[in-house]
Amino acid sequence: MDELLGSEHQGERRQVTVLTLDALSKSFQRAGLVVDSVNLRIEDGEFFTLLGPSGCGKSTILRMIAGLEEPTSGRILFGDRDVTFDPPNQRGIGLVFQNYALFPHLTVARNVAFGLEVRKTSAEEIGKRVTAALTQVQLGTLGAARVDQLSGGQQQRVALARALVIRPHFLLLDEPLSNLDAMLRGETRAMLRAVHNESGVTTIYVTHDQEEALGMSDRIAVLNGGKIHQVAAPQEIYERPATRFVAGFIGRNNAIEATVTGLQNGNVTIQFSNRSELTLNSGQRAPGVELALGKKVVACIRAESLCISDDGPIDGILADIEYAGSGSSCIVQSNTGDLKIEVPTSVRPPSRGESVHLKIAAPAVHLVEP
Amino acid sequence: MSASGIPAGRTFLPRRLKLTSAGVLLVLSLVLWGYVVGPLIATFQRSLAGEGLLSEYKPFLDFGSVQNEAMRGSLWISFLSVISAGVVGIFLAVLLNRWDFRFRKLYQALVLVPIALPPLMGVKAFYLLFGKAGTFPQLLGQWFHANSADFALTGLAGVLLVHTLTMYPYFYLSVAASLAQSDDSLEEAAYSLGASKFQTWIRVLLPMLTPPIVAGALLTFMSSMASYTAPLLFEVNNVMTVQIANNAATQQSLASAVAVVLALISVVFLIVIRGYEDRRIYRTQSKGGSRKRHRVTSPWVKVILFTCALLSTLMLILPIAMIFLLAFSKNYSWRTAPLPSEYTMENWVRLFSVSDAWAPIRNSVEMSAIAVAGAVLLGVTCAYVVAKTRVRGKGVIDVAMMLPWALPGTVVAFNLIVAFARPSAFSFGQVLIGTYWIVPLAYFIRFSPLIFRSTSSSLSQLDPSLEEAARSLGATWSTSFRRVVLPLVRGGIAGGVLLAFVAGVGEFVATIMLFPKLKYRPLSIAINDELNVGRWGTAACLGVVQVLLVLAVVVLMRRVEDRSTITHSS
Repeated sequence: MDELLGSEHQGERRQVTVLTLDALSKSFQRAGLVVDSVNLRIEDGEFFTLLGPSGCGKSTILRMIAGLEEPTSGRILFGDRDVTFDPPNQRGIGLVFQNYALFPHLTVARNVAFGLEVRKTSAEEIGKRVTAALTQVQLGTLGAARVDQLSGGQQQRVALARALVIRPHFLLLDEPLSNLDAMLRGETRAMLRAVHNESGVTTIYVTHDQEEALGMSDRIAVLNGGKIHQVAAPQEIYERPATRFVAGFIGRNNAIEATVTGLQNGNVTIQFSNRSELTLNSGQRAPGVELALGKKVVACIRAESLCISDDGPIDGILADIEYAGSGSSCIVQSNTGDLKIEVPTSVRPPSRGESVHLKIAAPAVHLVEP
Repeated sequence: MSASGIPAGRTFLPRRLKLTSAGVLLVLSLVLWGYVVGPLIATFQRSLAGEGLLSEYKPFLDFGSVQNEAMRGSLWISFLSVISAGVVGIFLAVLLNRWDFRFRKLYQALVLVPIALPPLMGVKAFYLLFGKAGTFPQLLGQWFHANSADFALTGLAGVLLVHTLTMYPYFYLSVAASLAQSDDSLEEAAYSLGASKFQTWIRVLLPMLTPPIVAGALLTFMSSMASYTAPLLFEVNNVMTVQIANNAATQQSLASAVAVVLALISVVFLIVIRGYEDRRIYRTQSKGGSRKRHRVTSPWVKVILFTCALLSTLMLILPIAMIFLLAFSKNYSWRTAPLPSEYTMENWVRLFSVSDAWAPIRNSVEMSAIAVAGAVLLGVTCAYVVAKTRVRGKGVIDVAMMLPWALPGTVVAFNLIVAFARPSAFSFGQVLIGTYWIVPLAYFIRFSPLIFRSTSSSLSQLDPSLEEAARSLGATWSTSFRRVVLPLVRGGIAGGVLLAFVAGVGEFVATIMLFPKLKYRPLSIAINDELNVGRWGTAACLGVVQVLLVLAVVVLMRRVEDRSTITHSS
């Protein structure tokens, strides 16, 4: 493989297996500390997502991996090789920008060929690989087109082909779907997965969209304020959020403050402000949450884990209801604050202003630090 | 172009207005025919009046003739001007927009100083600085104990220096704008794909800058072909503009032929420029964020860049500084020293005490004002007709409107001399040559395109749905024009007016061929007369007035722009 490319380190992905971020930090003059001592290990062939709200530092991490920003401190390792201060053109990464960044003066094929041309790959080899890459993203016939003649979705795929054709160590995707409409987003997601499965390239995906992250990733790192809150598989992120932030960021979630009032036989009893109590398995908590009598905790309850039931301990008034096909999303003004609930269509939908009682599905409750 | 990419909407006119618009169109056609196209054709006819039908054109093909020499001279100077202005303009644009160093903002402001340089006095200042017996040749001569004449820029070199330092803004502005619009992510994409810095420049950045560079080159070439003052002062006689002016009275058929050839060359460039404007402008969309400027770290590079920026901006400020210095120098006092030796307030005192000292200033302002008033009527009407209606033949109006923009001032003036030396219907049966009105007429013809252009671009940015909204809310066409369209394009009109006014206050090229008598001489002619009799101080004093008028207009323009930046999205 290496002989084929004739290049020592400019992107022949099988050599490098693991991407390591070691205490990586970045501060900007105006914005201050944007990435705060991030440690990450991304395994070979993984589809890894950096998820967080805008300004959480996820794009900056991606740009540091690409070499477009220099870390203030910390190290970036490709396998054993320290690339922290290597220029981007010597890292061998494929980067897909949010706005695609296609060269407007080149045709589609020349855009894709660019990375190979600067590596002085033979013309024959370039022709073969460009055709293959365009076919892979289903643009086989558009090689001669000008980039401004393409639709947004097509431009996106050219950008992807351009990044893949150099056989990068890592494929970096910076919010690649945010400029597409909903229909195209679904298609492109499927294609990204397919390309990942086919090529096996380690992919690092940056997004603020939890649905994309949950649906596509092998693992997700949830970031906020430059810090990593949790690194885990999608299901674990969803079911066992590590912090109150993660719980609130993923899914429709209620965070209710409570106090620990009982501890016995591996069970924990918590009391809400309306005096109602709930007993859970003490394993239903994020790592690091210490349980002791009188301790304040936050109970995370997904909207779908609250249901309307006449014997429910929480009383409230249905304040708002939004029909969504498979069910209805409701807001209940209760004596523990406003609660979000999901009512499946099979249940008789309450009407606005009606008083309701809510029951909590205890196994779905998860405790985090306040 | 509206944001959605749909071409600007046309307004359907009610029937009653259709008659009016036909009337308007007729008047427009008459005006354009009478004052723009007609005089050009008159010149063409005059050029055919020689012995054989095309006998005046044969010498252009004969290498030994003066006509051929002048044509080659003009083309050669223009070619060299494009190269040197291009090098300076592109270098400064890249330097000041891609790198960050001390006083960068200040340099960015100073780099546009040449725009405020009055045409005639500015060239004279260059001459006094670098020409025969100028400041720098004398200084260098003293320094090296050599003949100062060896260091003087004369002839072609002098013209090139003036062209370079006055025309590089064409390159600077277009390249700087393109750099500001271009997107960091393209560069980053190139790096991430493995391109080195050098490869990125050659393969991505330069190709991206090709359209603005070509645009700058076309403008520079056209302006160099039209340049008259610099060849005149540096005594380069074998260029077409000088040949036209010198032969305008004595050998009219020869001058006509030269004017026609020069007009043809200019029109070709006009067509190329118009075609180029619509094509190949690369726009990229990036998500906010500030552009990165490369902070220079290496101390050597720092010193080199700093020196380059310092030297080039010094070169730009020197002529203006020279005009201000001269304005306080005693007339006839400057003979042999590098700089004027005696200073006085006399020039300024004279300006405020002698009764007719203000006459040239008053004439200039008055003639420009008359011309601009007419130009607004013509330019705005034409712009609206071209942008918003569906009448046939509006393409012809568009071309006819832009024609005088492309024609050198010398040619415009010469056309008027040929056309209005006899009474005609368009001069109400009068001989216009020798009257006051010929100068405002020339200004009117030259400056209408400026107002047409700026109004057109405002109108094309106007979202057609705004006018439609007004109509749907019950406004009549005239109400919606008055209350919606006009307020929104006011900024564009005002911009054109001010540009035209600036050009009017400085106009020399056409005026020198047309102005009727001493009593009616405008500013630049007064300056020319003072220079010719050696009263450089008095001339410079008037030059300063020109600079101040231009600055006042620029400040005014800024304020109008600030107030009229109403952004509307669709």
